[in-house]
Amino acid sequence: MTTVGVRRGATGLTLLGLAGLVGLYWLSFFWVSTEATQGVVQRIFYVHVPAAWTAFLAIGISALCSAVYLWLRDDRLDRAAMCAAEGGIVFATIVLTTGPLWGRIAWGTYWTWEPRLTLTLLLWFIFAGYFMVRSATDDPDKGKRYAAVVAIVGALDIPFIHLSVIWFRSLHPQPVVAKPEGPTLPGDMLTTLMFGLGTFTILFFGFFLFRYALEGLRAEADLRARRSAA
Amino acid sequence: MEYFVQLSAIVWKDLLLEVRSRERIAAMGAFAVLAGVLFNFSIDTTAVRPQDVAAGLIWMTLVFGGLLGVGRTFHIESQDGAMQGILMSPAPKDAVFLAKVIANFVLLYAISLLVLGVFALFFGVDVRNNLGWVSLILGLGSLGFVAVATLFAAISTGTSMAETLLPILVFPLLVPMVVFGAGATGRLMAGRPFSEVEGNVRMLGAFAFAAVAAGAVLFRYVVEE
Repeated sequence: MTTVGVRRGATGLTLLGLAGLVGLYWLSFFWVSTEATQGVVQRIFYVHVPAAWTAFLAIGISALCSAVYLWLRDDRLDRAAMCAAEGGIVFATIVLTTGPLWGRIAWGTYWTWEPRLTLTLLLWFIFAGYFMVRSATDDPDKGKRYAAVVAIVGALDIPFIHLSVIWFRSLHPQPVVAKPEGPTLPGDMLTTLMFGLGTFTILFFGFFLFRYALEGLRAEADLRARRSAA
Repeated sequence: MEYFVQLSAIVWKDLLLEVRSRERIAAMGAFAVLAGVLFNFSIDTTAVRPQDVAAGLIWMTLVFGGLLGVGRTFHIESQDGAMQGILMSPAPKDAVFLAKVIANFVLLYAISLLVLGVFALFFGVDVRNNLGWVSLILGLGSLGFVAVATLFAAISTGTSMAETLLPILVFPLLVPMVVFGAGATGRLMAGRPFSEVEGNVRMLGAFAFAAVAAGAVLFRYVVEE
């Protein structure tokens, strides 16, 4: 795909995602029924859960692109891995801000060492390390390889971190959608949640393509600058 | 066969260097003892029993002390182009990595037993009944730790931030090791039977195995020129 094509796709997806976001806020504030036991605070769930899903999706894409980058050494894969990691950090930050806000009301405390929250925090730090490694190398190719290794090891460590923090203790609400016997969420809540998942995913890919196009232009500009210097 | 000859040559070189210079082992050993002393003064013994927090402190001493030594794994190679020398030798890259892990493991395992002794002495922890199991747990923990830390030491040596970057990269990854290791050690020290911590030990073993395997595969991408 050409850079112009990527930018067109990015604009389209981002506009669609932003429109979806307006719709999601309308649905979750005015349309969906209030949850009986938790009350109004439960509405943050329609932002929190889609953000968490998108963060994990982004980090999965980043780790996958990193692994293939080490194999094929195509700079486009490294760019994709980096842009996805940036998206992952942004959406993980949303999870880490909405989670404690909800927890303050529902659990009576901003922070608790709850498995899923802990895992998200650790992932946030792993990917903060990903960007620190990139910026702390003089040779860009070295930085790309190092960052790819960080992303792969981080992804491989996720099952261990997940198990260990569950082992430590859990008070997070149990899954209400992805269960073997089918979702137990009431219809309108499920609709709002699914709408949120779709919206956040589209928004992520919009941002991702924008960043990807920008990095592509930056690489082209670097190449041109080097050519004219030579 | 040749693989093991090459591997043991690097292990031998590293351990011999350490025996002659005693640079890292002295630093880690002194750190372990001094950390035990400082921890003692940081705890209000009228509020908590030292035995109850000893297991966690042992593992934290191991993590911090380990970084001190393992962070310098490639320090000597980073001078005078010695790393190029090792990489140009016929030894495969994963043999270089495994050799570094083994040499670091020997050092850190010795230190972890020292830490155990220091805490037994300073904190009045009685591990005589479970000494074998606690040593095994410390061994598995040390192996997982050195595998992760050696790979990332190679990365941080190649960056401008050097050793300051290492804890940022390694600490989030070490959470499973600390959860399973400290949990098992604490229970055994409280006199609980081994069957209660068997799951922890299996997970520690799996973590160590995965860390060694991932490091052996990924190391070549870190050191390539």
